Amino acid sequence: MEKVIDVQSLRKDFKSHSSRSGLKGAFRDLFTRNYKVISAVKDISFTVNEGEMVGYIGENGAGKSTSIKMLTGILTPTSGIVRVNGMDPHKEREKFVRSIGVVFGQRSQLWWDIAVQESFRLLKKVYNVPDDVYNEHMNHVIESLDIGPLLDKPVRKLSLGQRMRCELAAALLHNPKLLFLDEPTIGLDVLVKLKIRNFLKEINEKYKTTILLTTHDLTDIEALCDRVVMLDEGQIIYDGELAKLRSNWGEGKQIEFQFGEQVSGEQLQPLLKELEAEWTKGDRENVWIANVVNEEHVISEVIGRVVAANRITDIKIHEISTEEIIRNIYEEGMRNG
Amino acid sequence: MKHGSIFFLYVSQYMKTRLTYRVDMLMEIMSDLLFQAVNLIFILVVFGHTNMLSGWSKDEIIFIYGFFLVPFAIFGAFFNIWDFNERYIVKGEMDRILTRPVHSLFQIILERMELESLFGVLTGIAVMIYAGSHLDLSLSWYDPIVFLFMVLGGAFVYAGIFILLASISFWSDSRTSIMPMMYNIGNYGRYPVDIYNKVIRFVLTWILPFAFVGVYPSAYFLGREEWYGYAFLTPVMGAVFFGFAIFMWNIGVTKYRGAGN
Repeated sequence: MEKVIDVQSLRKDFKSHSSRSGLKGAFRDLFTRNYKVISAVKDISFTVNEGEMVGYIGENGAGKSTSIKMLTGILTPTSGIVRVNGMDPHKEREKFVRSIGVVFGQRSQLWWDIAVQESFRLLKKVYNVPDDVYNEHMNHVIESLDIGPLLDKPVRKLSLGQRMRCELAAALLHNPKLLFLDEPTIGLDVLVKLKIRNFLKEINEKYKTTILLTTHDLTDIEALCDRVVMLDEGQIIYDGELAKLRSNWGEGKQIEFQFGEQVSGEQLQPLLKELEAEWTKGDRENVWIANVVNEEHVISEVIGRVVAANRITDIKIHEISTEEIIRNIYEEGMRNG
Repeated sequence: MKHGSIFFLYVSQYMKTRLTYRVDMLMEIMSDLLFQAVNLIFILVVFGHTNMLSGWSKDEIIFIYGFFLVPFAIFGAFFNIWDFNERYIVKGEMDRILTRPVHSLFQIILERMELESLFGVLTGIAVMIYAGSHLDLSLSWYDPIVFLFMVLGGAFVYAGIFILLASISFWSDSRTSIMPMMYNIGNYGRYPVDIYNKVIRFVLTWILPFAFVGVYPSAYFLGREEWYGYAFLTPVMGAVFFGFAIFMWNIGVTKYRGAGN
């Protein structure tokens, strides 16, 4: 399969000067400065094949934005090799950006004061898309995203959800092979999120568009991506299937008990004796959660013992969510690679 | 001509939005006119006390001012990127610019243009005609062509200086008050350079060559042969400064650090 993104020991250092304290320090800063080199991205390597949808995740400051900006040609790498769509993003920027689409959720690609279709017209000119290609492709995009009625409204009058759908359409105007999405669903309601997800799946199937998705909303990633790349402190700490991440880290279930009376931790503790399980207190009154390994006999044993010993008004069994898994990974660090 | 057609599409879009805010546009033109009137009055006040300024008469100085308005109007319409640092570097709008397949500076010029400023071309020509009618100037058939080159040269000198200043933002995004200062220095080019001392004259000719926006090219039309050498350098200085500015800009873009989210 064709490699769409090929990154080899990519690194980005930022040099920043740290100012000394006080007035005296400020004077000294005038003459000699203390520079500090901060590595935002530390020698990362990965490849993405055509047609993949990859979730790119990490906490704030993990180096996500910086690496995406190098992949899109905005920033020049300090060292390392980046080949995207067979080009060097920064060196051949103007040619390169024709082959990618970019949506930054926090930043608009559209012109604020003019109607959406006028923005599309300008972008069509900027990307030099021929009329027939544009009509065929965009009619489909406009229909699937259901933005037809919005086209003659100025962007500033659109709601966030409406704007986001238009942004997505604008990023796809030149039918790019590769799409970068940075927080595309931030602040959107469930219905709009679903619409956007379905649309992304559809273009991925129809055009084999490769998608690299950054988001803090892991449900997006669960819905769309088979593979995740996880960054922490500028390094890749996990690169692989989402399902594997879940099975490695999320082995276990949570059983939430709502007790009919006041109970204490000491009271409950003996109930889990000799079982691979432990209690945590729930966030409501008289709610306790038993975290157990995902084995049938343990689960039924725990439930049996608790129900026999206490009055229970409600029981729920949860699988551990991806969000919790990821939180755990960050808290504990990546012990087993 | 891809850039040309993009340019005209932007211009038509600009007109469309501006025409919906007619009052704004009118106010802007009015305030420009008022500003130019104040400058003219200043010249008249100075000449209320003296007849000659280092051998230049009142009408000649008014003529220089009129000429200056023309390249300045073109600069103001297209290259007035004084808020580049704030808008594109600090707010990170440069990210968006860099994801589009057109030269970054060209895009910024398109986004920041203020075509109302072009009104200054008319004011400038009117002032020149007024001053010229008192001066007994002779016009040759090729003078309009020379005028065009002088105006473009002057506008490119101005543009080059401001693009260079904007490029500094790629290396350091701290705020500076250098831009407003530059507007003041730019005004020195409107007066004959021989009224200043040698150092200032040198700076205005070779370092911040604002003299090429006003006094040097005007000297050609005023028939001041002692300045002809400088006058004909105007288009050259424009090309050199503008070219150097673009060169520095292109280096600057590779140093762009982006804004944090």
